[in-house]
Amino acid sequence: MAPSRTSTVKSKHAANKSGIRNSKNSGKPQGDGVSKSKKPKSKGPPPKPQKSAGNLATLKKKRRVYTEKELGIPALNMITPVGVEKPKGKKKGKVFVDDRESMLTILAMVNADKDGQIESKMMKARQMEEIREARKVEAEKRQEVRKAKLDETKEGMRKKRKRPTGADEEKDTTRNEAAAGTKPLKLKKRKSVSFA
Amino acid sequence: MRPLTETETQTLFTKLANYTGTSLKNLIAPLSDDPNDRYVFRLHQSRCYYVRLSLANLATSISRDKLLSLGTCLGKFTKSGKFRLHITALPILAEHARYKVWVKANGEMPFLYGGHIVKAHVGRWSEDCPEHQGVIVYSMNDTPLGFGVTARSTQEARRLDPTGITCFRQADCGEYLRDEDTLFATS
Repeated sequence: MAPSRTSTVKSKHAANKSGIRNSKNSGKPQGDGVSKSKKPKSKGPPPKPQKSAGNLATLKKKRRVYTEKELGIPALNMITPVGVEKPKGKKKGKVFVDDRESMLTILAMVNADKDGQIESKMMKARQMEEIREARKVEAEKRQEVRKAKLDETKEGMRKKRKRPTGADEEKDTTRNEAAAGTKPLKLKKRKSVSFA
Repeated sequence: MRPLTETETQTLFTKLANYTGTSLKNLIAPLSDDPNDRYVFRLHQSRCYYVRLSLANLATSISRDKLLSLGTCLGKFTKSGKFRLHITALPILAEHARYKVWVKANGEMPFLYGGHIVKAHVGRWSEDCPEHQGVIVYSMNDTPLGFGVTARSTQEARRLDPTGITCFRQADCGEYLRDEDTLFATS
């Protein structure tokens, strides 16, 4: 396994240098009996022209590309700092906006942006308002339920109190005393007693 | 004195659009009386002026350090590139206002002395105004007094107590007196 790998790798590089290695390992990668027979006769030449021809063609093409690239290379090979490099054919300094059309386009963009922002704000506010309303309604419902429960318990307590009758009579007597206007009588008596 | 660059124009317009509606494009509309003349924005010593082109051209005959002001000063560009509106821009903003707040007579003086607007002082306000939105402040007889930013949306402000702030002051006409020294002088 290992030698076959090395042979394949080496054969690429060594193909131009020497035909000897190729002749050794040529059996495995190429696998042609004919090529074997040919190689000993003319050691290197037959594989060389085949591969070198292809390489030469690519090299020639590459060289042509380089020559074209050379047009962009500056005459003096100097290093230019990043900030200093100036774009060709562009105005130096600030670009002013003074014509109505470009101003209108900027204004339209800005207005569209602002409208969108306001719209989203309004949507958000409405949603929040809806949520608040829903919460309010829920809270009211809960309070009503609580009140209803409280009322029920109150009524239950009242009914329980009404059952014992003796206590009511006592209460009635005290009430009568308090409400029957006994106070003026008592006051008069007291006065009379004091003067007497 | 020079025209604004693209980024400067954009920051200026975004600031103006906080307070105005789509009618802002009337600012740069050609004049009806003279088709060659129009209003332009000019930057002079970091202040932005809204001025007639003919006047701006005349102003070039005055040296930069001697030229104090021309046209209507809208505000100034800060060193970080933001734009700050001055009270002098009020007439232009008031003309194209999107949202308005009318202040009762008892709230005029507190506002003109630099206070925020409390709910008790609000006479009327534009409906459907969102939170943190630029508004122009008027007196009840429609005289523009200044501008600010809403603290609450209109619906929320209804539930606010009378002493609650509804609008944060940004500029008021009292600045003409209070900031007299710095309003027009550049240094």
